[in-house]
Amino acid sequence: MVLTLYGLAAPLGGTATVAMTLAEKGIPYTFVSVDLQHGEHKQPEFRKKQPFGLVPALDDDGFVLYESRAICRYLAEKYAAQGPTLIPTELKAKALFEQAAAVEFANFEPHARAAYNEGVLKPHFNLPVDPSALNACISKLSDNLDVYEVILGKQRFLAGDEFTLADLFHVAFGTTLAEAGCDLMTSKGPNVKRWWKEVTSRPAWLSVLNNGIKTTMCADDALSEP
Amino acid sequence: MVLKLYGMPVSTCTRRVATVLVEYKVPFEFVSIDVAKGEHKSAAYLQNQPFGQVPYIDDDGFILFESRAICRYIVDKYPAPAGTTPLVPSDIKGKALFEQAASIEYSDFEPYAYPAVREKVFKAMRNLPTDQAVYDSSIETLDAKLAGYEAILGKQKYLAGNEITLADLFHLPYATLLAKAGSDLMTTKGPNVTRWYNELCERPSWNAVKDGAKSFSSY
Repeated sequence: MVLTLYGLAAPLGGTATVAMTLAEKGIPYTFVSVDLQHGEHKQPEFRKKQPFGLVPALDDDGFVLYESRAICRYLAEKYAAQGPTLIPTELKAKALFEQAAAVEFANFEPHARAAYNEGVLKPHFNLPVDPSALNACISKLSDNLDVYEVILGKQRFLAGDEFTLADLFHVAFGTTLAEAGCDLMTSKGPNVKRWWKEVTSRPAWLSVLNNGIKTTMCADDALSEP
Repeated sequence: MVLKLYGMPVSTCTRRVATVLVEYKVPFEFVSIDVAKGEHKSAAYLQNQPFGQVPYIDDDGFILFESRAICRYIVDKYPAPAGTTPLVPSDIKGKALFEQAASIEYSDFEPYAYPAVREKVFKAMRNLPTDQAVYDSSIETLDAKLAGYEAILGKQKYLAGNEITLADLFHLPYATLLAKAGSDLMTTKGPNVTRWYNELCERPSWNAVKDGAKSFSSY
């Protein structure tokens, strides 16, 4: 039985993160759109799958999982034999992966998400943007990206020289920064720029952008050439 | 060479790591970093922790930072003590449910518990002005998030299932500061959260380090 992914069919946030991982691994899936606009995710029926009323959620033949990074880790482990190795297995390499994954959710995501909420969501809902709030999160992001510039001058990706989920987790919020008026991912420094270009040029991400998030019919369909 | 933990004795993240080292009975030397004097921002420190944060470990030359990554490394490297279940499951579904719970902690708990504690505890300690609005909105969101916890913990003993895991332990440092910040949510939100929280607070490993991380040469 095929996996079912519940979420928002847009190239941002948790649903897109899972869709990119499914594409990296060439895993076919059924997509069910959750009507966020009408609050479907907050209804009791959906909360049976996700008690916090958030998207995405995954149903793997009755095994239900939520939290996009947990879903991606599960997919990486279950489908370890196909596609790129997204989580190292050797003790120290794995620890350095966990360090990079922690940096993503502690030092990148909070500020990138805050910038998205302030600089993209608010205008979308015709709410006034608070420029000092927007500048504050961009400034914190900038300080942290100074460190990324150092790290990525010594190694190709955040956990070492191989692409891992730690890099992938940055994509779906990182790509919204430009829309919030922040060009840090390309202006911070040559190393961050090089890494960001590599990560966002991966065929798996391009397939999310070009083909959208939708039900795939077979494994060949699951990863399209850009 | 014995494992070295570099941090601040009462730092939340330092105590998070110390708890797990004690859980797994790993001998370690605690090295205190003078955060008040800015030692964590010195060039020497930044060589090991480039973000200028505490803690980090030096395990016989292997440097690792980010408290949750360090805790995972300890559980990966060392066997669980006799008679206990590992703090990270190894079967694929058990592990996935652990990852879900670990993600809940840093997505649905920490982003709200931390600002509340920062405003009312950390800033007060340093005589800095506190932002009541930030505290109020953080607690309001945390209250709503704990409804999710109440639902989960009504069906199972811990966040990832019926065995305690790192995901539960990760909550301790900030959860135990909420009362000091002025919020009793952990013991008033609902009977399931209260039961779970009180059990965590009784954990011997936490009690060994809650007043300050220190060296443990034997157990």
